[in-house]
Amino acid sequence: MMFKLSGNSTRFRLIVVGVLLTVVGFGWVIRNLYQIQLVNGDFYQQRAVAQQLRTTSINANRGAIYDTNMNKLAVSATVWTVLFSPADITDAEAEVLADGMSEILGVDREFIIEKAKNKKNYYQVVKRKVDKEVADQVIEFASKNGIKGVSLEEDTKRYYPYGSLASTVLGFVNGENQGAYGLEAYYNNTLSGTPGRVVSAKNAWGNDMSFQYQDMYQPQDGNSIVLTIDQTVQSVMERHLRTAVIEHGVRNRAAAIFMDVNTGAILGMVTMPDFDPNNPNEIADAATKAELDAMDQDSEEYQQRLFEAQTEQWNNKCISEPNEPGSVFKIITLSSALETGSVEPEDHFYCPGYHMVGSIRKSCWKTAGHGDQTLTQAVENSCNPAFMMIGQALGAHNFYQYFASFGLTQPTGISLPGEAGSIYHSEEALANPLDYENSLTSCSFGQTFKVTPIQLITAVSAAVNGGYLYQPYLVKQVLDSQGNVVENIEPQMKRQVISEETSAEVAKMLESVVVNGSGRNAYIPGYRIGGKTGTSEKIDLYNQTGEMRYILSFTGVAPMDDPQYACLVLLDEPDLDSANAYGSTIAAPIVGSIFSEVLPYLGVEKVYNERELEQADVYLDNQVGKGPHAAQSALTQKGLNSEILGAGGTVVAQVPEAGTKVPPGSTVMLFTDEASQSEQVVVPDVRGKSGLAANQMILNAGLNIRVTGVGVENQYAVAAKQDIAGGTKVPRGTVITVDFANSSMQNIY
Amino acid sequence: MSLLFGDKKRPQYAKGGVDLTFLLFVLVLLVFGLVMMFSASYAYAYYYDGNSFHYITRQLIFAIMGLGAMAFFASWDYHIWHRFAWLSLAVSVVLLILVFTQPSVNDAHRWIWIGSQSFQPSEIAKFSLVLVFAHMISINYDKMKTFRYGILPFGVILVLLAGLIMPEPHLSATVLVVLLGAVMIFVGGASLKWFGLAALGGGALAGVAMMIPAIRDRAMYRIEIWLDPFLDPQGAGFQTVQSLYAIGSGGLLGAGIGNSRQKYLFLPEPQNDFVFAVVCEELGFVGAVLVILFFALLVWRGLMIAVKARDRFGTMLATGLTAQVGLQAVLNVAVVTNSIPNTGISLPFFSYGGTSLMMLLAQMGIILSISRQTALEKE
Repeated sequence: MMFKLSGNSTRFRLIVVGVLLTVVGFGWVIRNLYQIQLVNGDFYQQRAVAQQLRTTSINANRGAIYDTNMNKLAVSATVWTVLFSPADITDAEAEVLADGMSEILGVDREFIIEKAKNKKNYYQVVKRKVDKEVADQVIEFASKNGIKGVSLEEDTKRYYPYGSLASTVLGFVNGENQGAYGLEAYYNNTLSGTPGRVVSAKNAWGNDMSFQYQDMYQPQDGNSIVLTIDQTVQSVMERHLRTAVIEHGVRNRAAAIFMDVNTGAILGMVTMPDFDPNNPNEIADAATKAELDAMDQDSEEYQQRLFEAQTEQWNNKCISEPNEPGSVFKIITLSSALETGSVEPEDHFYCPGYHMVGSIRKSCWKTAGHGDQTLTQAVENSCNPAFMMIGQALGAHNFYQYFASFGLTQPTGISLPGEAGSIYHSEEALANPLDYENSLTSCSFGQTFKVTPIQLITAVSAAVNGGYLYQPYLVKQVLDSQGNVVENIEPQMKRQVISEETSAEVAKMLESVVVNGSGRNAYIPGYRIGGKTGTSEKIDLYNQTGEMRYILSFTGVAPMDDPQYACLVLLDEPDLDSANAYGSTIAAPIVGSIFSEVLPYLGVEKVYNERELEQADVYLDNQVGKGPHAAQSALTQKGLNSEILGAGGTVVAQVPEAGTKVPPGSTVMLFTDEASQSEQVVVPDVRGKSGLAANQMILNAGLNIRVTGVGVENQYAVAAKQDIAGGTKVPRGTVITVDFANSSMQNIY
Repeated sequence: MSLLFGDKKRPQYAKGGVDLTFLLFVLVLLVFGLVMMFSASYAYAYYYDGNSFHYITRQLIFAIMGLGAMAFFASWDYHIWHRFAWLSLAVSVVLLILVFTQPSVNDAHRWIWIGSQSFQPSEIAKFSLVLVFAHMISINYDKMKTFRYGILPFGVILVLLAGLIMPEPHLSATVLVVLLGAVMIFVGGASLKWFGLAALGGGALAGVAMMIPAIRDRAMYRIEIWLDPFLDPQGAGFQTVQSLYAIGSGGLLGAGIGNSRQKYLFLPEPQNDFVFAVVCEELGFVGAVLVILFFALLVWRGLMIAVKARDRFGTMLATGLTAQVGLQAVLNVAVVTNSIPNTGISLPFFSYGGTSLMMLLAQMGIILSISRQTALEKE
């Protein structure tokens, strides 16, 4: 029997099966594949990618902060995070690690054990921000012992190489390397750059897969900023303020600003006590730290106090605390009145010791009165009744207009976070008949309103620089990570407030304050310095506590013939009784000291007047090897005295030595033999002595005197400091530098 | 061999070589399948076994053994299977009962373990079903239109096998067995009315089953998840969602071979039932269609062999064995693409499983054996 497909039936049915399977069945699934892959592919792919990819951020290097001479004030360095992958660490290895790592990293052995034995984990941070040196040791130790579960991750750390220098200006960064305070915060976007990303594929367990899936976006390093701050100026200011804070027991911190009056550039800005931005959380002030250490570290009070203390030490007093400017403000009143023609330089003011404002009698600080004064004398005397009259002549409208025009109603807009505004009387309040006399007259000599130190120095700068109000600024340049200039920040003049003539007139009067008036303690021979003291009473505190505390300040400008720099120093609550608490005696000498050190550095040439020329130091030539009489006549020609000691034929030594500068009229000791050289004299203690007495004591001892400070001619001069302490034995002829201060200016506001 | 079965009653036939076209399709699918299974298993093997070659090594060994089996059975005269038909059914039934004594995997008794090797009795049951049905149809072909010979014995065997496989539980194998049986009966020449009746009966049975709340709730939930797997993307819908992610990520041309991301532990056991999702992700729509095309060609060529077979036994055997591959391929791709509710069904030549690959190749050998003896058709 021949097998045959039974007709078409089986063949047909096979074709049906074939069509059903291939055309219908496969066609159906292909259609669905088309839907999933080509129509809705994006939908599924996006969701798939979301679960497959991990984005890891790579830190961008934070830009540096340079001072004006490209000294690095803040830099970022690469540091490392030490990681364990405990799942890859055996118990035996954990013990080895504990021994090695606790030593290398300086952490507890138990801590390492705990981290290393956290078995379920692949990522345990053991220590952050370790240096390269330590990181190298970690890796060397791990590889030496064949331990695989130890790795390093790159990170950056901020260093402030000058420590606390300009800390309240620079601020600091937080743990995430983001600016938290100061310039670091204000310029955070500029400095921080754009972090890079590594997009890597991960498996469902969250582990990274092989490198072929990695996509890397390079980080964009942050830009650097170049400040107007000058490290030298800043450190001089900080040194003087640190001393002042300790010496005068300043309770509420001291502030100082050094400004280029012709640009608004800040060369120095100090708040003292400050802190170390490398370690911003640590309380730098010894007294506060002692107080905190005595407290229960776990208590809420401790946390509260710590927070207060930290916030306080981070705070930049120069911009954040408005206070009554006191007599410094008389510069602004004077400028406004001269500009509007309300008063003329030739005007006279009579001070009977008080001034009647309506029915209120307001006293002058000199109750006996200054009598008849020219305008210049009124400024020199810092006479309050005279300024009340000037204010009244100016009137509420003009007063307010100029007050605003000098920028005292608005924050300056300096590029620092947390700048405070001022507290002031509105024009309406000043013009209010009920309040008018009282507010306007008080405001005229700087009371009953508050401005910040930065506002004040900016306004004073405008008063003396020709009348131009500048935007104070701290950053002069932005550089990219390669050091190319991205942006130059030019000085920004806001407006001309007063005319150049008025400004010159004001400058002239201010110089006479230092030469003749209340600012004498800021006097430096060779430099034309102008300035104004400011002493304000903390009335609001007095009303609360009954204890009177003071803010002492001095704002100086130099040189007055061509004003270039202004320097403001403010001491908040020095521990002084009212008899001694005056800007003139405390704050003015600080400004004088700062100027005397900084102005030569800044290249401001000394210009001596006749009297100063007589006193200018003489450069001492070498006399050793000459015959004693030849030496003597050479010295005489230079206006120096000399004394021959010993019996030798040639000079074997001289005191002071060649190359030193000595005041004219000094006596040079010329030694002609060995024996004569050994003679030593005892330095007298001249502190507290008057100028003449101190001079005589030192000359009598066979020593030379160099006079600094207000000078011996001043009848009020009292020796305040001497560079070689009384009782020290020194060679004859040694120059003793004695600093004289003015003792009589206590009553000047 | 030919002596043993060279019985003179058999019709005239042409004796020749194996169908090289069919062999080519088998080899293409085998190589394709091995490569893709290797790629799909690479990460899974690495993470779970610490050796990326874990699965491909085993699969290769079984593939080589399977090729040997294929050659062996291709050289055998397929008529010998007449003698093993009932025996294999008996063995299948015994194994299907024995499987319940085996430890369960994922709450299912589907595997019988011999040492570290395992196999699914349901695989053997499918083969014995094809064998027995081909045997019966070739003997009783004339009476296929009758209920007594054409339907009843087939129905009994089908119900017996399905009834043993279903409670494992193994729904997909049950469905496959029933569909396979239906194809055989259909091609065997059974009257179409019985199919109508069977469909009605099946519908009624399903209706009754749905009256039972436990079954209804489970079924409804499966359907809900099928319609929107994102209802429970971390639970019941997880496999489907991950599969769709893989397929969708492939796009037109795919990520390139070896570049699947979903195989990195997102797709559960990517070397098994969801290997096709990795194919879609790595080779894209084009690659996926190509794989399906080869399956379609294999099916078409297999049915051609059935058409040309020397006798009805050969026709039915080739039909059953080809249909088994085709059905499984369609259903697997349907599951992977969420065209039908998710159920465990492997893709022939692609999915990991040594014994089943070896059996598959042996069965391809039987088809090749059938292709060697073609009916002489009069011009």
